[in-house]
Amino acid sequence: MVQIPKWLLISFVLVSFTGFLDSSFLSLEHYNRGILPCYIFSGCDEVTASRYATVAGVPISLAGATFYLSILIAAIFYLDTKNAKALKILKFLPAVGFLASLWLLFLQFFIIKAICFYCILSLVSSTMLFILGLYLFVLLKKDRKREWDGKIV
Amino acid sequence: MFEEDLTKKEKYQLKKDEKNREFEQVKKQKTVKRFLLWGLVIVVIGGSIWGLSRIAGHSPQTQTAVLLDAISTNDWVTGNQEAQTTLIEYSDFQCPACGAYYPLVHKLIQEQGKNFKFVYRHFPLKQHSNAEPAAYAVEAAGKQGKFWEMEAMIFEHQNDWSASNSADEIFRGYASALGLNLELFDADRESGEVKDKVKSDYQSGVRAGVNATPTFFLNGKKIQPRNYEEFADFIKQVQTDGSNS
Repeated sequence: MVQIPKWLLISFVLVSFTGFLDSSFLSLEHYNRGILPCYIFSGCDEVTASRYATVAGVPISLAGATFYLSILIAAIFYLDTKNAKALKILKFLPAVGFLASLWLLFLQFFIIKAICFYCILSLVSSTMLFILGLYLFVLLKKDRKREWDGKIV
Repeated sequence: MFEEDLTKKEKYQLKKDEKNREFEQVKKQKTVKRFLLWGLVIVVIGGSIWGLSRIAGHSPQTQTAVLLDAISTNDWVTGNQEAQTTLIEYSDFQCPACGAYYPLVHKLIQEQGKNFKFVYRHFPLKQHSNAEPAAYAVEAAGKQGKFWEMEAMIFEHQNDWSASNSADEIFRGYASALGLNLELFDADRESGEVKDKVKSDYQSGVRAGVNATPTFFLNGKKIQPRNYEEFADFIKQVQTDGSNS
């Protein structure tokens, strides 16, 4: 089994924690205030108040918070137990979050025509997680190939 | 010989014991470490949620009276014109929050309009490209005596024109539905007088420290009601305060 570099796992933890704070803040705003006012120089009100901000009554930010929390827990779980199942989550889940973020960016640019800082921060976090996930994927694949080659020899 | 054997056995046992102890200790250390790790995770996550919940949804409340421009003949006033209680709203037609507050304010005026007068002032935000044209359209309708009718029309159909590139055309359609003279309507919404009115409303908002829409002032004090009940409570409160003093 390949040694997963510690910096990679720590990066997973830090980036997902940032994303978690960001989306939790939006979720809390959603539930606390009910109606977000429009501030001077901000497009967040339009994005978070738009009908795309919730799916069946659940704010997307809450789904985001759950997503980041899952990655955060998986990374810490792996740091703790070295359980390979956690790696599976770290490999594939970021791709889902990244696709969701791209969809939301598309909505902001072309449909709502307003950009929200918090959503961009989330896009940056999910993109970074996706890159980390890809790196992990490549790392594990290389390792499996090496193991396989070893068996043949 | 026997003695030597015994010591060997003893030595072996001793080593085994020590190894076991070491193993137990490492195991114990690992458990403690694990507890600490997950404890820390729970504390950090819980703490940050708690911290965020204190920040979110609690914008600073300015309960002190601010310098508000007095109600003038230029202002659009509805409700009870004679009432002592005044509710002023700084609003942006394209702001979703203003659209969401509109039914609350409308209901408040309908149900308790005899207790207060309501003033609508424009505060079109720069990021809303159709907010100014909407304000001009409502002012122009006002020139033909249909300010509140146009205000209702524009808020009720906010989703239809907010992101549209032909909002002006849509407003023209509303003017026509309200039976306005369309030529006059078009001329008025392009007029300097209407534009100046919207601008002066905006500037009075800036002077009063308005930085978001909608901003409500009840007898000069900024209030942040979150729903209809809170709105009604605020009105009731100033009335009892007023009658006591």
